[in-house]
Amino acid sequence: MKKHPYQNPTGVPAYTGLLLISPFIIGAVIFTVYPFVCSFILGMTESSISRELRFTGLKNYAEMFRSDSFRNALSVTVKYALILVPLKLIVSLLTAMLLNAEIKGMRFFRTAFYLPSILGSNLAVVIMWQYLFKSKGLVNQLLGLCGAAPVSWYGDSRYALFIIVLLRLWEFGSTMLIFFTALRDIPSEYYEAARVDGCGAVRSFFSITLPQLKNVIFINLVLQTIAALQEFNAPYMITGGNPMKSTYTIGMLIYDEMFAYSDIGSANAVSWVLFAFITLTVVILFRITGRLREEKI
Amino acid sequence: MKKYISLIAACCTMTLFSCGSNKQSSVTPPDGGLDKCTLRFSWWGGDDRHEATLAAIDRWNELHPDITIKPEYGGWDGWTEKVSTQINGGTEPDIMQINYDWLITLSPDGKGFYDLNELDKFLDLSGFDNDTLSFGMIDGKLNAVTVSICGRGLFYNSEIFRRLGQDYPSTWDELIALGKPFGEKGYYPLDLDIQSGSTAWYLAVVYVQQQTGKEFITMDGKLGFTVDDIISALEFYKTLEENHVTRTIRTRTDEDGNAALYQSAEFINGNIAGVLEWGSAVGKYESVLPDGVLEAGPLLGDGNGNTSGWLIKPSLMYAVSRNTSHPDEAAAFLDFLLNDASCAEILGTTRGIPASRFAEEAFEKSGSLTGLAQESDSLFEQIDTVTISPYMELSRMKEFYNTAIEKISYDSADIPTAAQELYDSAEKYLEKIRK
Repeated sequence: MKKHPYQNPTGVPAYTGLLLISPFIIGAVIFTVYPFVCSFILGMTESSISRELRFTGLKNYAEMFRSDSFRNALSVTVKYALILVPLKLIVSLLTAMLLNAEIKGMRFFRTAFYLPSILGSNLAVVIMWQYLFKSKGLVNQLLGLCGAAPVSWYGDSRYALFIIVLLRLWEFGSTMLIFFTALRDIPSEYYEAARVDGCGAVRSFFSITLPQLKNVIFINLVLQTIAALQEFNAPYMITGGNPMKSTYTIGMLIYDEMFAYSDIGSANAVSWVLFAFITLTVVILFRITGRLREEKI
Repeated sequence: MKKYISLIAACCTMTLFSCGSNKQSSVTPPDGGLDKCTLRFSWWGGDDRHEATLAAIDRWNELHPDITIKPEYGGWDGWTEKVSTQINGGTEPDIMQINYDWLITLSPDGKGFYDLNELDKFLDLSGFDNDTLSFGMIDGKLNAVTVSICGRGLFYNSEIFRRLGQDYPSTWDELIALGKPFGEKGYYPLDLDIQSGSTAWYLAVVYVQQQTGKEFITMDGKLGFTVDDIISALEFYKTLEENHVTRTIRTRTDEDGNAALYQSAEFINGNIAGVLEWGSAVGKYESVLPDGVLEAGPLLGDGNGNTSGWLIKPSLMYAVSRNTSHPDEAAAFLDFLLNDASCAEILGTTRGIPASRFAEEAFEKSGSLTGLAQESDSLFEQIDTVTISPYMELSRMKEFYNTAIEKISYDSADIPTAAQELYDSAEKYLEKIRK
């Protein structure tokens, strides 16, 4: 059979598409690929702001793995992610279910619950957190009214991480919104049929709601895990990594190495380890949830 | 295949060179004239310094309408990081207020800033003595000019001392003895921290320097203290905590969170009655208390006439960016800041007592050489001081001091262990940075 060469029916030149997306490609190369490559190379050099680059191979990585500071930061970050992510998913899902109820005035509550997530960890929030959790703060005053002893929220390494977790937990709006949208997509017939068959609310939740949300749960799980492992703002602003480095995350270590100690090589090496760690975590999450996600409902 | 490998190797080499590109840029030579331009000037400080400096810039704009100064200013916390980033990206301001230790990190070979010796047409340095100028000299290049030399002394809330019927301490023992009467009323006579100022460690260093006559770190970056000296310093700090002279790190963190002392309700309300601060920076503490309440206290001695060991340093320096396109204009503005009589009067002692003879003379003529910075300065003139090594001020070094203090405060390490860790970390880092 004779092969006919491809004829472009529209008459548009072959490279037009490429030309049209070239602004994005150029932007990605300049602002993503180039810094990415630079960062990798810098991670294998001894470099500071004032000194010339000197290639040192894997020395930065070897020193990093030997350093107590890195091991502590990694441990704090993992602990933080392990506490925050499950809590945030549970709170977001339960709130989304509550807000899914068709009650008068619900729109107000939907907005009110979403609002904290756009505040981030700005100065106003930091001041509010201090007002709440300092030794003479509102929380301790309320505890005092109940006859309980004041808690050393900022000064005790057992509780300091908790107040950071609480801030991020309070800002659950975007996770909740994704759950809320997914809940609206579950056909109400499923619940009606289940009710006719004598199924209670708890059974409906586990047999209909959760299976229907499994992909959304996974997306939220991955997004929140990545965000938690990259945490910087909240501990930097609220506790400064204190006390006893109990809130000192990998993000803060990268910042200090780069900007406080001007050790560019080390900062880039830690960044690459964080990148590899996040990639590995996401791959593991994909693997362990793979069968669940593929199961037909 | 070989072609592809060569291509990849070439790309990697180009990327490697481009990653550190800004270090190769050429320096604009002075052209001997003042052209119309806009210059950026950055500094850190408290509100008192900001207000005075902005007023000085207004004065400059009146005198030189063609050369506009764009101010960039903020608090100390995070300022080093900000300027480091700017310098690394080649986007730093034309004129910068810099800290003493930045010369080590940002210009170890003297090429990190503009050589001010080349700008003598517009920058008159005859008002500075050679010792003062030598602080900013690296490898024969004048990288920065010292604005003022000041000491880190003690300042007290006079109202609280009066209320408790106590005098300012003049010996270490008297300071320790103050813990009891202050503690009974729920006050503390002094605050020491492990924030960016590392005042807890600095006071302990003064104590040991006075006892031993040694310098903690020498000017060429070698550790002068032995492990035993560091143990003495940490023991002294622990004594202050145990005697209610200063808050424990836990109490301080609980009460103030991550806030600086001058922003803390405990200090503003008078529960904390003393602070260790550089004379050039004490204005930010003074401004949050009623007028005249904060006073300079005696520099503590051992009771036998030995009051040595207290630290002084070039409190602040001005440098010109090596990337500036307007070196002459930057030099002219620098000259105005350092030597001009009207500028000196506007700036007052917000950067300490000026090192420039011309500015000091202008002060004396106007009779405005008063205030806490002046009081502190005259106290330091009466004793044998130790000029601080710039290596002592490095951020990584402060991290070592603060870690040791925090560990003994929280009792998570005994004093000998914390001292050994501090000694080992400092020794290793100093060896690396000296190379």
